[in-house]
Amino acid sequence: MSKYPLEGIRVISFGVGIVIPDLGKTLGQLGAEIIKIETSTYPDFMRTIVPDPNNSPGFNESNRNHKCFGVNLTADRGKELILELIKTVDIFAENYRGDVMERLGLDYDSVKKINPEIIYISSQGFGKGGPYSAHKGYGPTLCAASGLISLWAQPDDEFGCGGTFPHPDNAVSWQGTLAVLGALDYKRRSGKGQFIDISQAEVSAALIGEAMLDYTTNDNVQKPVGNRNPYASPYNCYRCKGNDQWCAISLFTNEEWETFCDATGHPQWKADPRFADTVNRISYAAELDVLIEEWTSDQDPSTVMHVLQNAGIAAGIVQRAYDSILDPHNNWQGNIEEMEHPVSGKRLYPSTPFNMPGMKFPQNSPAPMLGQHTDEICRDILNLSDEEIIRLKKENVLDDPETKETAESC
Amino acid sequence: MTEEKKEGALSGYRVLDLTDGRGTYCTRLLADMGAEVIKIEKPGGGSARSIPPFAGNMPHKEKSLFFLYRNTNKKGITLNLENPDGKAILKKLVTSVDVLVESFDPGFMKDCGLGYETLKAINPGLVMASITGFGQDGPYKDWKGSNIVDFALSGAMIGSGFGDGKPTALPGSPGDDAASVFAGVSIITALYVRGESSEGQYIDASAYKASRHFLYPWGLVMWHSNYEPDKPLPGPEGRLGAAVYPVFPCKDGYIRVVALTPRQWEALLRVVGEPEVLCMDEWKEFYYRIGNADVLFALMTEFTAAYTMEELTEMGHKEGVPIAPIYDTSGFANSPQTKSRNFFVELDHPVIGKYKCPSPPYKWSVSQCAVTLPAPCVGEHNETIFCDELGYSNIELSALRFAGVI
Repeated sequence: MSKYPLEGIRVISFGVGIVIPDLGKTLGQLGAEIIKIETSTYPDFMRTIVPDPNNSPGFNESNRNHKCFGVNLTADRGKELILELIKTVDIFAENYRGDVMERLGLDYDSVKKINPEIIYISSQGFGKGGPYSAHKGYGPTLCAASGLISLWAQPDDEFGCGGTFPHPDNAVSWQGTLAVLGALDYKRRSGKGQFIDISQAEVSAALIGEAMLDYTTNDNVQKPVGNRNPYASPYNCYRCKGNDQWCAISLFTNEEWETFCDATGHPQWKADPRFADTVNRISYAAELDVLIEEWTSDQDPSTVMHVLQNAGIAAGIVQRAYDSILDPHNNWQGNIEEMEHPVSGKRLYPSTPFNMPGMKFPQNSPAPMLGQHTDEICRDILNLSDEEIIRLKKENVLDDPETKETAESC
Repeated sequence: MTEEKKEGALSGYRVLDLTDGRGTYCTRLLADMGAEVIKIEKPGGGSARSIPPFAGNMPHKEKSLFFLYRNTNKKGITLNLENPDGKAILKKLVTSVDVLVESFDPGFMKDCGLGYETLKAINPGLVMASITGFGQDGPYKDWKGSNIVDFALSGAMIGSGFGDGKPTALPGSPGDDAASVFAGVSIITALYVRGESSEGQYIDASAYKASRHFLYPWGLVMWHSNYEPDKPLPGPEGRLGAAVYPVFPCKDGYIRVVALTPRQWEALLRVVGEPEVLCMDEWKEFYYRIGNADVLFALMTEFTAAYTMEELTEMGHKEGVPIAPIYDTSGFANSPQTKSRNFFVELDHPVIGKYKCPSPPYKWSVSQCAVTLPAPCVGEHNETIFCDELGYSNIELSALRFAGVI
């Protein structure tokens, strides 16, 4: 048996942003070797929105476990090197815009000719086929086009504005990982590779599947309910003591309600007819929320959470990064690790999430510097001599980041 | 309809699905890829059948949209796991499967005498996944979650909603979906490894852990990138959605824009006709735009209001800045893109009749990945599994029903 689950699997990644880089990161955590194609002329755009392309926090998270191979795709010899490399890989992953891979001659049909068993995953904003198939999509625009953001708002917001996090990028990444692994196991059993076309907009829509069915079966176009639940009360996010501190609380049964009243020191609420049963609590949700917030606003969110959870009521602080560092359960699970990057230094990252006691997983490695592994890949995989590598750098076939200005990627 | 394909990537694998509410999406994902999934519910049906809303807007155990959405392509049987005969039947079924997924409270399966060690002794190749809110061990293992509580703890909610408003819940079941997809990834990895080792695996998946990866793994890194030893801690995160990924009103609704890079910003300027007031140098700076998002919103609205969502989307595409319409569910379902990809497929359900159901979000060139069967009715496949496969007679099946076993 191999040491790691995907040991010996090689992935070539034409990934930018989050979706495909994070997919590579995860496959790397399972033991695969990930080679990212990227040059200083066409770097991942995440390197371009910060002053130093090697010091982008988002890039450095999503591109852990990657090797960076700087090869110029527009040079004939560069293209040859890529094709040689493709012959050695199991998985091809890309999320370049629309028809870029076709124009580079690296679409599935072309790649399949030199590696018939390859698994090729293409993540496009809107998926292939249809009027928007060539549109560049980012999580935030796809969560708009999928209907998700229409429900991601408070009822009195003029419109939903989403969040700081580019939802559903990471969800797409995980769905893509699931598909790639399914295809890999299918290849193990059948010998057949294939093409997987993932639509980020459809992943986003799949996250609100029930709302979609409400439309298709009931003709009901759902409206945002904010933090409330039309079928339960209390159910909300309550302001706590401090600056922008909150705790979410939810309960569903009369038994939980009585426990809640006792745990919060308000046994008198049990006798209030407005809150006597679920239907009444839903009708008087606004009044109830005011009373609950009077209690929470004097407490630390962590106190609210512990008091309620210890009594058996679902409650959770609206956690910040700093809270997550202090959280005993997060630490117990070992969810955070420190890693040193040559430019960014020692930083905290989410650690490998897999929890399978019967398996081993490799250490994570830091995101690559531009062109960091070019020499290694040329030498060890493509069998080029040191002289040839130097010559190819001079001829601009291989990227030499030392000598170039960074531009923007496609 | 997509072309008919005979087998899916996971065809040939058999999965026992003991999940009720949480984790039910995991086995749907496996079923989409062709695994044979047998859902086991308590006699009379699981509690997930009570989750609203309902088709036809009236409570009915065959009409929960949550249940219908998350159980397509599965077979359904009933079995009482707390009854000795029920346990014996489960053990028989375990010998025939590759995967078992459960989402009971930690320790429940073990207390039933059906823990991983017991089942592994029956079937050494078994891949067993437990999906819970907080995992099988640790200080919070017995805590309760819910959609809003899972999301609050994920680290993503603090950045969700308007900067001057409340943190805002994400629709759907984000923590549950995270744990489900994460468990699916773990299960297939275990099956892949089992090809060589023939050994099964135990998988512990929780919403608490998975949602950190499924929603915003950058959160920790972004915050910590401003950390310097011996200096005050970096300031608290804000809610920046409206500033970083702005929404602008237009003639017939709203659009959302991603203009992160200088090239995208220049393209956005061309879309709105390069008005002088926006061509000032300071607006070129990404961080200036974030810091002055309210001013930008007011200025931009003047120009975007002259166009429709579709016009702006097309112009954005032509110029090189991602712009998308803000659709509601009907806008998405009826958009030409959704229709051209046949995302909604028609299913025929014995109780609710014909309806359209979302497909898996990907298309596969060789193996089938599709929704072909509606969710099972309560005990729909009892006869198939208990009589045709396990050899019980109709009389015995009736006795099992009478005794509360199935």
